[in-house]
Amino acid sequence: MTRRVKTPAIIAVALLAALVAAAAFSAASITWRAGERGGQPVGEVLVGSTVVIDLLTAQGPYSPEERAAIVADRLQAAMATAPTAESVEVRAIAGGEGIYIGSQLMVTVSDPEAEAHGTTRSALTGFWRDNLVAALSLPQAPPAEAPSSQPAETAAPAEPTPAAQPASTGEVDWTGAAQKWVPIFSLESEGAYIGAAQIAGPSAQVEKVKGVAELRLNFENLGRIYAYIPTASISVTKLDRVQGVSVWATGDLRLVGF
Amino acid sequence: MRARNRMITLVFLGLLCLALVSTAAWALDLGNLLKVGGIALLVNQFGDQIDRFITGALGQRGAAAIGATKVVPILSLGQRGYVGAAQVVGTPDNVKRVKAVVQIEGRIGSFRPRVLVPTYVDRAQGAPERAKGVGVSAVIEFRI
Repeated sequence: MTRRVKTPAIIAVALLAALVAAAAFSAASITWRAGERGGQPVGEVLVGSTVVIDLLTAQGPYSPEERAAIVADRLQAAMATAPTAESVEVRAIAGGEGIYIGSQLMVTVSDPEAEAHGTTRSALTGFWRDNLVAALSLPQAPPAEAPSSQPAETAAPAEPTPAAQPASTGEVDWTGAAQKWVPIFSLESEGAYIGAAQIAGPSAQVEKVKGVAELRLNFENLGRIYAYIPTASISVTKLDRVQGVSVWATGDLRLVGF
Repeated sequence: MRARNRMITLVFLGLLCLALVSTAAWALDLGNLLKVGGIALLVNQFGDQIDRFITGALGQRGAAAIGATKVVPILSLGQRGYVGAAQVVGTPDNVKRVKAVVQIEGRIGSFRPRVLVPTYVDRAQGAPERAKGVGVSAVIEFRI
């Protein structure tokens, strides 16, 4: 009788151990790798197979690859403290901005680094922070925030950050590509227009898009400048761009003439 | 849902064709050809700088496209002709392949349909093809 009870118990414990091991293995394996982009060295920090931070510039004595190794080590140490999404913060530091988990600095974002990425420092910092939060599947600390909003940044809130994205743009999964029609609001020198725009991109990103903002300047006999910004919120004051999504077609009607 | 999207797209393209037919015709003379060629050459030459300028300008509003972007020549055809630079966004592999964007636009009353077609040349077939997974983020163009 005792043997009958013991055998299933041992099997159950073994299964549980296997499940725990599998879960530990699959959850947030943080690594780094060296690569090359345009002939320049790049250090990439990965969560699973997703690149969350790609370092293009050296900092002090450290090459991009060495920086990636340091960042990966710091992230591994930080994960032991069971961080929440809110604990991933951006703070102003000497030489730029830093992404922190709790009180521990993870990575420094400098102006040369942002320049190498062809963007602004704040945008890159927000992008990497969102990548980390998404890839590490960090839980929200109660009380919960509005689901579509960015996690509150306790420091350096000077500029709005780009929309959260599950991976860096180079790793966007286009295999699940989708397209849909969304409203477009166009603000031009002649007036305001409203209509529909066809957008396309990764399914998850396309889902987030609520509309497209078009900013257009027409110079009658010279030319014109315009930009399409797929946004995750219908807000006039903040353009919450959804990365990886682009515009293929538009059609609009004049709403108001200036 | 997909059938509905396809139907909307077909209706849209039909309207665009109608608008193109109804718009005034214009033709390229030698001066215009030089203008188109010259601007296309300049865009190819200074694409990286223009790309950084556009990203920087949009970045001021947190609206920059981050990651795989590239600036290529754009030719807009419709009521008027324009040539200039377009920033395309998409996967790095597909963005690298894009050589130009063709925009077809029309007008029916106050309705303005437009289609943006990022294209590349398939070396095997030697014919231009629409680049999949790539779209347009921003455009700077001059009237022909």
